[in-house]
Amino acid sequence: MHRAFCWLLAAFLALAAPASFAADLAPLVRGLGAGSYAETEKAIAGLAETGDPAVVPVIEALQAGDLHVRKADGAVVVAKRAGNGYALTDPLTGAALGEADRNAVEKIRINNALRRTISATLGALTLMSPDAGTRRQAAEAVFKSRDANALDALNTALAKETDERVRRAMTQARASVLLAGEAPDADKIAAVAVLQERGDQDARALLNGAANTGSDAVKDAAMKAIASVEQRLALWGAAQNLWYGLSLGSVLLLAAIGLAVTFGVMGVINMAHGEMVMIGAYATFLVQEAFRQWAPGLFDFSILVALPVAFLVSGAVGVAIERSVIRWLYGRPLETLLATWGLSLALQQAVRSIFGPTNREVGAPSWMSGAFELGGLTITYGRLWIVVFAFLVFGALLVALRKTWFGLSIRAVTQNRSMANAMGIRTARVDALTFGLGSGIAGLAGVALSQIDNVSPNLGQGYIIDSFMVVVFGGVGNLWGTLVGALALGGVNKFLEPYAGAVLGKILVLIFIILFIQRRPRGLFALKGRAVEA
Amino acid sequence: MLTRFFLMGLDKKAGVLLTVLAVLAVAVPVMALGTAPDSPWHISTHTVALLGKYLCFALLALSLDLVWGFVGILSLGHAAFFTLGGYAMGMYLMRQIGSRGMYGNADLPDFMVFLNWTELPWYWHGFDQFWFAAIMVMLVPGLLAFAFGWFAFRSRVTGVYLSIITQALTFALMLAFFRNDMGFGGNNGLTDFKEILGFDIQAASTRVGLFVATVVALAAGYILASAVVASKLGKVLIAVRDAESRVRFLGYETDRYKLFAWTLSACMAGVAGALYVPQVGIINPSEFSPASSIEAVIWVAVGGRGTLAGPVLGAVLVNFGKSYFTAALPEFWLFALGGLFVLVTLFLPKGILGLAAQLRDRLPARATVTAKPADQKGV
Amino acid sequence: MSTEDTLLYLDGVSVSFDGFRALNSLSLVIEPGEMRAIIGPNGAGKTTMMDVITGKTRPDTGTILFEGRTDLTSLREPAIANLGIGRKFQRPTVFEMHTVWDNLELSLKAPRRPLKTLTYSATREDRARIEEILDITRLSPRRDRPAGSLSHGEKQWLEIGMLLAQDPKLLLVDEPVAGMTDAETEQTAHLLKDIAGKHSVIVVEHDMVFVRELGVKVTVLHEGSVLAEGSLDTVSANKQVIDVYLGR
Repeated sequence: MHRAFCWLLAAFLALAAPASFAADLAPLVRGLGAGSYAETEKAIAGLAETGDPAVVPVIEALQAGDLHVRKADGAVVVAKRAGNGYALTDPLTGAALGEADRNAVEKIRINNALRRTISATLGALTLMSPDAGTRRQAAEAVFKSRDANALDALNTALAKETDERVRRAMTQARASVLLAGEAPDADKIAAVAVLQERGDQDARALLNGAANTGSDAVKDAAMKAIASVEQRLALWGAAQNLWYGLSLGSVLLLAAIGLAVTFGVMGVINMAHGEMVMIGAYATFLVQEAFRQWAPGLFDFSILVALPVAFLVSGAVGVAIERSVIRWLYGRPLETLLATWGLSLALQQAVRSIFGPTNREVGAPSWMSGAFELGGLTITYGRLWIVVFAFLVFGALLVALRKTWFGLSIRAVTQNRSMANAMGIRTARVDALTFGLGSGIAGLAGVALSQIDNVSPNLGQGYIIDSFMVVVFGGVGNLWGTLVGALALGGVNKFLEPYAGAVLGKILVLIFIILFIQRRPRGLFALKGRAVEA
Repeated sequence: MLTRFFLMGLDKKAGVLLTVLAVLAVAVPVMALGTAPDSPWHISTHTVALLGKYLCFALLALSLDLVWGFVGILSLGHAAFFTLGGYAMGMYLMRQIGSRGMYGNADLPDFMVFLNWTELPWYWHGFDQFWFAAIMVMLVPGLLAFAFGWFAFRSRVTGVYLSIITQALTFALMLAFFRNDMGFGGNNGLTDFKEILGFDIQAASTRVGLFVATVVALAAGYILASAVVASKLGKVLIAVRDAESRVRFLGYETDRYKLFAWTLSACMAGVAGALYVPQVGIINPSEFSPASSIEAVIWVAVGGRGTLAGPVLGAVLVNFGKSYFTAALPEFWLFALGGLFVLVTLFLPKGILGLAAQLRDRLPARATVTAKPADQKGV
Repeated sequence: MSTEDTLLYLDGVSVSFDGFRALNSLSLVIEPGEMRAIIGPNGAGKTTMMDVITGKTRPDTGTILFEGRTDLTSLREPAIANLGIGRKFQRPTVFEMHTVWDNLELSLKAPRRPLKTLTYSATREDRARIEEILDITRLSPRRDRPAGSLSHGEKQWLEIGMLLAQDPKLLLVDEPVAGMTDAETEQTAHLLKDIAGKHSVIVVEHDMVFVRELGVKVTVLHEGSVLAEGSLDTVSANKQVIDVYLGR
């Protein structure tokens, strides 16, 4: 009697008051615990009528089997196991209602029919949400569940929907439901068209289903749609590979560009180049530690501070190496190779002794985290920034070599050392600074790589061979060659990967370069003429 | 005729080295097998294996010196030939395990059973015969070197370019051998050997036998290398090292000369690897790593490239230092090795033997010709 | 005269490096047994011409025939050398680590294949020939010294000796008397004239005294092609030659 009254009241309120009166939901919720399945279903319907988003967690709790009736007062509560008993919370407000013995509450049971109602209601409720994002998510959920019960709600929602993107999502969801369920051929064929328009993996799966089960007309349409979708998917797949290739290429470019300066411009083989990258990454780690310590609020800027720091630290190490070792070995490239290899071993061990052999944690600032979708592409911000950064560094270096006095000196020394000396250029200083520049750029690469790779003493080892391949492939002494080399190798690598696997792809690229160098010993962009012979 | 050919290269240094090897070949077996374990003269099988390992490295260093010291090709990929030889021997040793493996499969090595393979891959056939494996030990590295060199030398890839692509070669092989489906045991490589030629591989007498075999191989390699270097062909090689284009204008196809030395060197490295594997009991893809190749280069540099005794001395010294330091001061070893690279290139460009020769020359003012490697030209 | 009878025949040979024309439609004919002097200012293409003949540089266009039939443009350096074309470089290039004797032994006409050299041992005739060349080049006392320890002039002579040991049909000699004393220059001229009887010789030289000493036909190169040809007196009188090279 008492409960019946409540239900009446609830129904009345539901009819009389629209969604705005959240407080008035409580009696409706209470109705969920009324007893029979039929009554529960009615209560759900009542809650659904309100169209109030606050109802959603309640029904979700019901769906999850967390909704209980407190025997003492008939209140509907969310009960979760805690120790021997239950911890109770209010389903609407989430407020804690203390604990209860296992016998003090009774679970509100649901059957399959009810379950369908619940999910349909949930779908419908969220489809009506005032927030467009929620509506779109709800539509996506229906798209995935293909729940025929949601069809009415979808139709209603579609009729009211004004947002173009949400409309599209709902139309697609509707098509998914129609195609999966019982519907006239005409509707199904229309649905096929909608799914073809969508054109992703999910759409293909749905269309595949239709192609196997539908009537001949539907099958025919679905087959055609699948062909079109697959073509489109292949296109997006290629685009995604292109992006991965560009991303890998820009990493290679960053790692190789400093080498292009020391090897390409100075003719110095720096096997410790990878360690300059590694030092840059550790500099980033230290800068971030400092920020964590003293200015955690400004953490997002730590990377920007790390850039100059890494450039200077790696550059200084580079200058020190040039002054202490390399300057004695000019004109003896093979000896330089060995000596710098020795330095790389010592630098690795030094870093291992100071920072330990394990990986160091380098965080990503918020503006480098996350990803966004571009058509069928998923692009992470971290990778995007690295691509942008690689091109910025490349451009800056190009300008520095072309337009500054320092760049002019470098080119003068490269082309004719003794003449440059006679013109008053301090060649020893130019050598040291050029090497420092190459090393500093490696340090910048280290900042970028710290975002996508493990910061460990072995960081540099992983890049040194690839970097040499890029420079040798692109052609020594030509920055554009390095750019093309890096992007080409990155791209080829990523395009081979789906077919050959990552390792085999890499092996194929190495073999390709070995053969390529034998065809064109001076790389892609080779200098010609007598100067080269010397 | 043939005896004369092999004897013509032997000089005083060779005499000393061969005598030392002969003494080792007698003394080590006697001390290891003929003395009581508590005798001060006794050496353990572990030490015998260690000495054997050093001598394998010495043979590798010798082979590297043949191309670097005498032809001017700095190979950063000799570990590839060494390891391929090692794998060829390892495959024989794997086949000798027979049904004594963990899975008791008489036809397939354990790792293949583990991978659910049902049949021996075609390239494993024949390796149950020692003679076949022994041929492959030289043939496989030799063929790879021949193919690689044929392309590289014809296209006149020289200097650091050549060094870098040799490094890429061994790197590519390392990646390949890490793959399980290559059929060489992937990551773990080949190990758990039981027998060689029917002898228990763990037995002290077998260890001593392997050691003596290594001494003989090193001596043979040394005599062969001396003969090659002393022949007119050796003179052409040195001429190629110092002024390659001039040699071409004299009518020598320098590519073929380089290819000869390169392939011979690879075969020697393969033998060194084959002797190494049964003594250390394992071969895995990390032996291919470019770092091991470069480490071999420093042995040659320390001893003195362009001399044949130098690399042997250098390999033994550096590896003795490595064994000592990695046990006593593990942190220090990479500093020491790194420092060695820098110091040798800066201050000892001719290595220990070169330094000795310089000091000797300074006393009596008599010019003896030591083959001083000139600097490789051209970047 | 038909091309069949020529020893070396160059026709319309051009080479350019990055837009710079080092040889510009060069044509030149050398007869068997002839000695020819080539003169010309720096950058006239003298060294490039030698590079093209010996296979170091491939011409972009043009024909180079040896003995009227063998096309040199498609051959590699060793093959050309083995046809019988020897070359002496502007900067003396000898094998500094090898003894004078070994330098000559390496140059001596003998099979050039690796396996032949591996088993080679000098025959009595070989040794006699080397002794003879040591006498001609006056290097007998130096025979066991490393070539790197020789003086500049001695290296020049050793390189000429290496050419003799090769016994080529055509010798290309680039500035053989650079850095020599007057007496040495004179001796060199005599030596080359002796050689010219049996072999053809092309001499590139700046030293006019030396060229006069040789007393042979002279070809003047300028900007990659032939400016004038004839006796030294004839070309010396040529106005163009005076303008670009000899000066007033």
